[in-house]
Amino acid sequence: MRTKMILTVLMLISAVAAQANAGYIEAMQKAIDKVYKAETILEIQEAVNVLDRISNAEKGKWEPSYYAAFGYIMMATKEADVATKDKYLDQAKVYADRASAIQPNNDEIITLEGFISTIRVSVDPATRGQQYSGLAMQAFGKALALNPNNPRALGLMAQMQFGTARFFHASTGEACATARKAQAIFAVPPTGTDALAPVWGKGMVEGMVANCK
Amino acid sequence: MKISLLLFVLVSAAAQSQTSLSGTVTDLKGEPIPGANVSIRGAYDGASSDALGVFRFTTEEAGSHILLVTFVGYTNHEQPVVLDGSNITLTIALREEINQLEAVTISAGSFTAGDEKRRTILKAIDIATTAGATADIAGALNTLPGTTKVGESGRLFVRGGDGNETRTFIDGMVVLDAYGPAAPNTPSRGRFLPFMFKGTSFSTGGYSAEYGQALSSALVLSSKDKAEYNQTDIGFLSVGGDVAHTQVWDKASASGKVQYTNINPYFNFINQRVDWKTAPNSVETSAAFRQETGQNGLLKFYGNFNRSHLAMYNHDIVQPELKSLIDLTNTYGYGNATYSQSLGGTWAVRGGLSYNHNRNQVAIDQVPFDEQENGVHGKVVLENSFSNRVDFRVGGETIIRDYTASTLLAGSSAPVALSFQERISASFVEAEMYASKYFVSKVGLRAEHNSLNGQVGVDPRLSLAFKPGKVGQYSFAYGIFRQSPANKFLRVDPVLNPEKAEHFILNYQVVTPNKTFRVETYYKRYSSLVKYFNNDPSQLRNDGHGYAKGVELFWRDNGTLRNVDYWVSYSYLDTERDYLNFPYAAVPAFASSHNFSLVYKHFVTAIKSQLGFTYSFASGRPYFNPNSSGFNSDRTPTYQDLSANISYLPKNWLIIHFSCTNILGRDNIFGYRYASAPGSDGTYARVPIRQPANHFIFLGVFITISKNKSVNQLPNL
Repeated sequence: MRTKMILTVLMLISAVAAQANAGYIEAMQKAIDKVYKAETILEIQEAVNVLDRISNAEKGKWEPSYYAAFGYIMMATKEADVATKDKYLDQAKVYADRASAIQPNNDEIITLEGFISTIRVSVDPATRGQQYSGLAMQAFGKALALNPNNPRALGLMAQMQFGTARFFHASTGEACATARKAQAIFAVPPTGTDALAPVWGKGMVEGMVANCK
Repeated sequence: MKISLLLFVLVSAAAQSQTSLSGTVTDLKGEPIPGANVSIRGAYDGASSDALGVFRFTTEEAGSHILLVTFVGYTNHEQPVVLDGSNITLTIALREEINQLEAVTISAGSFTAGDEKRRTILKAIDIATTAGATADIAGALNTLPGTTKVGESGRLFVRGGDGNETRTFIDGMVVLDAYGPAAPNTPSRGRFLPFMFKGTSFSTGGYSAEYGQALSSALVLSSKDKAEYNQTDIGFLSVGGDVAHTQVWDKASASGKVQYTNINPYFNFINQRVDWKTAPNSVETSAAFRQETGQNGLLKFYGNFNRSHLAMYNHDIVQPELKSLIDLTNTYGYGNATYSQSLGGTWAVRGGLSYNHNRNQVAIDQVPFDEQENGVHGKVVLENSFSNRVDFRVGGETIIRDYTASTLLAGSSAPVALSFQERISASFVEAEMYASKYFVSKVGLRAEHNSLNGQVGVDPRLSLAFKPGKVGQYSFAYGIFRQSPANKFLRVDPVLNPEKAEHFILNYQVVTPNKTFRVETYYKRYSSLVKYFNNDPSQLRNDGHGYAKGVELFWRDNGTLRNVDYWVSYSYLDTERDYLNFPYAAVPAFASSHNFSLVYKHFVTAIKSQLGFTYSFASGRPYFNPNSSGFNSDRTPTYQDLSANISYLPKNWLIIHFSCTNILGRDNIFGYRYASAPGSDGTYARVPIRQPANHFIFLGVFITISKNKSVNQLPNL
C-alpha cells in the first residue's frame, strides 16, 4: 500500500513535469516558428523576447538562447543602419555565449558563432574581412570537426568560399562542392527525435547550388 | 490524508488566480518603445510592447516578484510587483544607454584608429596601405592634419613642436627611442610595424592625464589581443626578407618574427646621393605572447631586439674631396609585460612594466662616441565604470632613465663621460562623465616628481564635447604638458627644469559612416624651453619660450565613389620660438606654414589590385643663412611628393606589393649646410640637404601559410 502511494506520487510528479516539458516544447516551437517566418524586425524581436523569457526560466537549456541569438542575427540581416546592425550582433553574441556556457562543444552553437562573424564582415568588408572571415572559417571548421554532416556549417562555409572565389575570380568548384554536400544532407529528412533541433539554412544552400549550374 | 494534502498542493499550484499586467514602455522623453521585453523574472510570463509601446499579459505567478523590462540599447529596468490577482497598470520609462558610436565623443586633438569601431578616422589597414608611407606608422600619420613634413627626419613633428615632443606608448607603456637609427639628414623609420596593433590613437594635443613627458603629441598604440589561428608568413623584399609564425592554443598565443634588411644591393642598383661605405643593414627579431587568465584577465608580453649598422662619408662643404667617415652601430632592446584584469563589479585593474635599452656606438674618423640609455617604466591603473555614464581612473607610475655618453677628447686616452639618472614618479586621476548623450566632459590631474631637480609639478587636463544635433559635434580641450629636456641637454646640466606647453584646442567634426569632416584650431604656449646663455651651449637656462597656433582641415570620403577611399588634410601653422641659440623669437627650421596631403586609394576588382596615390605639399621651411642679415629668415623651396603603390592579390595567400615614392622625381631641398667660415669672397659656401635619392622603390612578395584559407598578409602591408 505504502509503495503504491509513493508510486502514485512519483507518477503525478512526473506527469506534471512532462506537462511542463510539453509546455516548454510547445512554447519553443511557436517562438522558433515565428523567428523563421517573421517578416519584420519587430516580429522577430517579439519572438526573441519570448525566447529570452524562456531562457530565463529554463536555465539548463541551451536552445532558448541559441534561437534568441539566431533571431538577433536575422534582425541584423534585415537592418540597414550599421550601428544598429552591430548592436543586434552584440546581442546575438551574448546569447550565443550563454548557450555555449550551457553546452560547450555543440556544433550548432559554434556554427552560429561563425554566422555572427560572417554578418560582421558584411558591415564593413574592407576593414573587418580579414579578422572576421578568419574567425568565421575557423568556427565552421571547428563545428565540422565535431559533426562533419552539419549542413548549416557546410552551407555557411560554402558561402564564405563563394565570396573568396568571386573576389579572386577563381573557380567556384570548391564552394559548389561544399554547397552540394550541404544540399545532400538537407535532402534527407532528419531522423532525430529532437523537436527543437535547428533546421534552417536549406534555402540558402539551394540558392547557392542553383548558381553553380 | 498525507497524500490528499500533497495532491491538493500540486493541484492548487496549477489553479491559482491570474494577475493581469498592462501598461506602456517609453523612453525618457515619452516616445513609445516597440518590441521591449516585459517579463516576470525567472518565469515564462511576459509580453512584448507593440508599435505604440503598449503591453499586456497575465500571469499565474503569485506573491512578490520582480518585473523586468529590457530593450536593446537601453538600460534594463527592474521593479518589484506584488501579484495578487488585482490588475496592475504600469508606465515604464527606459533610459537609453550611452552608445559610444552615436554619443558625443571627445575629439579635440585626437585621431583614433581602430579595427573595431567603424566611425574612427583612420584604421590600422589605412596606415598600412597609404602610398608614400612605406608601411611606417609615422609616415602614414604624416598625412593627417597637425603634422609638418620634415623629409630628412621621418619623425612626427606636431604643431610647431620638434620630433622629440611626440612620445610613443605601447599598451600604455612608454617607449624611449621609438625610431630606428639613421645617418645624419636621412629619414629614420619607426621601430614598430603597424600590423602589430589593433588600434592607434594619435593625439595632436590635449591628451589624457594618463600620459606625461610629451610636450606636443602622444602616439598611443594598443597591441593585438590573443591571436585566433596558426599561420606562417614569409616575405621576400627587395631590401631583405622576413619570416613570422603564430601559434595558437586554447587560452594563449605566441608569435615571433625575424627580419633581415640590407639596403646595399638596392643602393648598388639605384644611385644614392649619400656616399655610403656600408649601407644600412639590420637584423630584427620580435616576439609576442598572450595569455588569457581566469575571467577577463589578459597577460601580454612583447619584446623587440634590433641591431643595425651603417657607415657613410661626409664631405666637406668647401673641399668635397675632404671627407670624414661616420660609422654607427645601434643596439636596441624593448620589452614590456602588461596585465589587465577585471576585479568583479565595475572595477578593473591594469598595469605593466617595460624596459628600454638603446645604445649608439658612433665613430667619426675613428673618434668614438658611445651613448647609452636604459629605461624602466612601471605603472598601475585602477579603473571604475560606475555606469556607462561615468568612468573613473586613478594610477601611478615611475619612469627611471639611466643615461651615459662618453667620448675621447683629442690628445687624451681616458674617455670623458657625461651621465645622469632621472626618476620621474607620477600619479594621475581622471574622470569622464556623460551628462547626456549630447554632452561629455573629462577632467584630469597629473602630478609629477622629478628626482633630478626635486621639483613637483601638477598639470590639469580638461576636455569637453557637445553634440547639438545628430551628426556634428564641438569639442574643446585644455591642458598643461611637461617634458624633460632632450638627453643632449640634460647630460650637460641635469638640474634643468622640464620644458612646458599649454594647449587650447577647439574642434568641430561631422562623422557619418562614410564621410568625415573636421576643422580644428589651436593655440599652444611654450615656456621653460632650453636656451643657451650668452650663446654658449655649455650654459643652459630654462628661459626660452614660444607659441604655435593654427587651423587644420580634414575631409575623408570612402562612400561616394565605388571602391574609392580618399582623404585630404590641410594645416596652417604660425609658430615662433626663442630657444637654444636663437638671437630672438623666430620660426624654427622644422616648421612650415602650409602642409597639404591628398591620399587616394582605389581597389580595382578586375585586376585584383589596390592602387594608391599620395600627394604631399609643404611650403618652404626656414633656414639660417649666415650670408643674410636675418635669423632663419630665408625659406627653402616648397616640398612636393607624389607617391604610388600597388598591391596585387592573385591568390588569397599571396600578395605582391610594389611602391615608389616621388614618382615625379622632384629634387626636394630640406635646408642647407653652411661652411663654418666665409670663403675668400666673404660669403659662406653651402650645400643643400636633399633626399638621399629621388625615389625609394620597394618590391615585396608576401606568402601566408595557414590552414585557414581566408587569411593573408594584407593587414601587414
